[in-house]
Amino acid sequence: MKKITRLAQIASPGDEPLAPLSVDELMALPGLAQSVPPLAPPKPRWLESYDFSLDGFSDFDLPKPTTPEEGERLVNGFLSGLEKLFDPQNNWPFVKNLRLAMDYCVRCQTCSEACHVYVGSGRQEIYRPTFRSEILRRLYQRYLTTGGKLLGPFLGADIELNVKTVWRLLELSYRCNLCRRCATVCPVGIDNALIAREIRKLFSQELGIAPPELLKKGTRQQLQVGSSTGMNPAGFRDLVECAEDIILEKTGKKIKLPVDKKGADILLIHNAGEFLSWPENPAAFAILFDAAGIDWTLSSEQLGYDAVNYGVWFDDVELARIAMRHVTLAKELGVNKIVVGECGHAHKTLCVVADRLLPGDLSLSEMPRESCLPLFWEIVKSGQVRFDPARNDFPITLHDPCNVVRLMGIVRPQREVIKAVCAQPLREMTPQGVENYCCGGGGGFAIMDTLNFSQWRNNVSVRVKVSQILAAFEDVLDADADKCVIAPCSNCKGTLREALRHYGLEEKYRIHYSGLADLMVNAMAELPGPYIKWNQEM
Amino acid sequence: MFEWLMVLLGWGSVLLFVGVSAVKIFKLSRLPLNLRWEVYPSPHGPKERRRYGGSYMEETDWAQKPQTESFLLAELAEMGAEIFFLKRVRKHNPYGLWPFSMAMHWGTYLLMGWAGLLVVERIVGGVGQAVVLAYLVNSVGVAAFVLGAFGSLGLAVKRASHADLRLYTAPVDYFNLLFMAAIFVSGWLSWLADPALASHRAYVGGVLSFSPAALPVLTGLCFLLFELFLIYMPFSKLIHYFAKYFTIHLTLWEDSFRVKGSPVDEKVAAQLAYRVTWAGPHVAAGKTWLEQAQGEKK
Repeated sequence: MKKITRLAQIASPGDEPLAPLSVDELMALPGLAQSVPPLAPPKPRWLESYDFSLDGFSDFDLPKPTTPEEGERLVNGFLSGLEKLFDPQNNWPFVKNLRLAMDYCVRCQTCSEACHVYVGSGRQEIYRPTFRSEILRRLYQRYLTTGGKLLGPFLGADIELNVKTVWRLLELSYRCNLCRRCATVCPVGIDNALIAREIRKLFSQELGIAPPELLKKGTRQQLQVGSSTGMNPAGFRDLVECAEDIILEKTGKKIKLPVDKKGADILLIHNAGEFLSWPENPAAFAILFDAAGIDWTLSSEQLGYDAVNYGVWFDDVELARIAMRHVTLAKELGVNKIVVGECGHAHKTLCVVADRLLPGDLSLSEMPRESCLPLFWEIVKSGQVRFDPARNDFPITLHDPCNVVRLMGIVRPQREVIKAVCAQPLREMTPQGVENYCCGGGGGFAIMDTLNFSQWRNNVSVRVKVSQILAAFEDVLDADADKCVIAPCSNCKGTLREALRHYGLEEKYRIHYSGLADLMVNAMAELPGPYIKWNQEM
Repeated sequence: MFEWLMVLLGWGSVLLFVGVSAVKIFKLSRLPLNLRWEVYPSPHGPKERRRYGGSYMEETDWAQKPQTESFLLAELAEMGAEIFFLKRVRKHNPYGLWPFSMAMHWGTYLLMGWAGLLVVERIVGGVGQAVVLAYLVNSVGVAAFVLGAFGSLGLAVKRASHADLRLYTAPVDYFNLLFMAAIFVSGWLSWLADPALASHRAYVGGVLSFSPAALPVLTGLCFLLFELFLIYMPFSKLIHYFAKYFTIHLTLWEDSFRVKGSPVDEKVAAQLAYRVTWAGPHVAAGKTWLEQAQGEKK
């Protein structure tokens, strides 16, 4: 159902959602309609304090402005941030790209169908990749350009800037997974995901407004405590011991995980969430590296044990601070390179985005940063570890984490590894590789669960991924057998965990998920039994 | 008087088009170097890898390997597919814009080519293969008018008639399309009135030799609109073909990693010295980017 007739409606007054959602408007998921709970409206007490006027969902537990002065402060702060967004010194990281995106989009809407949020939502207008971009563009034209000031309505710069516009634009910037699939199909190379990120940046860097999971409990906590999970160095050392216990229990092997080993070849940095939610994954790395004779270490220094860098989703200042600490720690340990564990956004941040944000001594030529996936492939090719594919004799599909695949071009290693350690041929998703869709948890959504935001994620942004998984297992869905989605990324796994629960896919179809290291260890011929146990909470 | 104005406009429009475009490109190129922000597939790397969208990061120890290989041919092939066939619009646009957009773009390319051919014909007139050149001038001109008119009017109708497209179409977008349509339609009509394009040749000859020729109304209108369009184009988003070099070539395909002491490294060092005035509570306002990164306001 089309609810929006004019972009200027973004400024319309009132607390009623501009584009409320209901399940029957979303993209159909054949066979699952009965098992999905309907969308619940926000709790009445939330409505009194918080703003749900975009689509009825929010992750922001910030009191809405109640006086004209508060509203004016918000609007003025937004305008001030908007100016800085287009200032070459304040926004040198992306000012050129942003200006190009503002000035040269031809509004052809070629990007629309590339967006899983737009398609999954049943093509609701507010989720079209260009919707938020066009609003920012019209505000930029109206308030920052001479042409827009003189010829506003002719150029389309007709959007009023008020509290509602500001708030809805904030919400809109968190309705994009930043997967950048749209950028790959744009004939002009305009990146609507970047625009969403720049809007997020404006709110964070100028007004200090960001989802609590990303700023307060995310980057702030990571810089102060050492990890966005709240884990301090002592806690990390305890979890390392837990991983050693898991290895002993599951394999009978006594492996001491190397920590703070000076001069090791590799500093391995995991997403710290792995140690808490899926400790089998870092344990699997240790088993593999031990068997392959790799000289490696973990770091127990603050930030050294948590590869996440949420700044990449919303704040360049925080992004730079965390990346600086990660690379500096590696230098201090005297390792030859950093290898990033199965965490997609940490891959992209350390190996790509931070490259031009750090001093020359920390550039990639001085401290290389690599993905774990090519290393896995090297382990397979080296023959030092013997794999028995028969141990992985179940249907498998592969999710391509956007940050690793579309944004870094790492496509083949994980496929070669699966080919070597699995009995059945890989069931590729449609589409696959660099064209694959986001899991629905990208850009921070995997960890955002304040107010009713997770309801939106589970119903809208993961929808296309669920449809792809069902299609990949279509011919074996009802078979009495376990099936597995391999997702070499912590946030993707977290999103899949919630999606499988929400749609009852584990119960109904025995569809599970796993990291890649776990799958490899599960096939190691020297181990006495299976490493992956499906009936355990993963 | 009008004929003289048209001669001056002929020269002035070309000079303004080139000059303003150059200034715009220069200004864009002077903006700071952006962070790496590539996407795949890209036209870099061996053919097999390009086929599935892989990168050098699929290997281990890639930072130890030199980045000297050029992928110019692959880049040109990919750019050519986009410029001449609008590959992405054809494959992904859900509103059926491709045939109209193709026609409009080819109409524009041919119109520019036709103007160039008229100049070449005048300069080399009567030499060698003049008949072939004359035939080419006539065919290219007519093809430009027909294709351009069909494409720009078709796009205007599409934008006005489809609710989804209409929502995002500003008055300036209709203006641009109708402006272009007016050039192509007036050109088409001028050809119907003068199938040998003699008056068009006479006008171009007059501009080149600074000797104004009498202009039939339709021919004069066609050139007047075309020249005004040349002046207008660099100020509008219609020069997105220049923008593509920055958005695609220098951003989406730019995957070279930084080497200490390289020109990129020096640029980054200079940019890290820029001062930050963001007002967020976690930002240390007034410090440089480097100082921010080094841990101010933990």
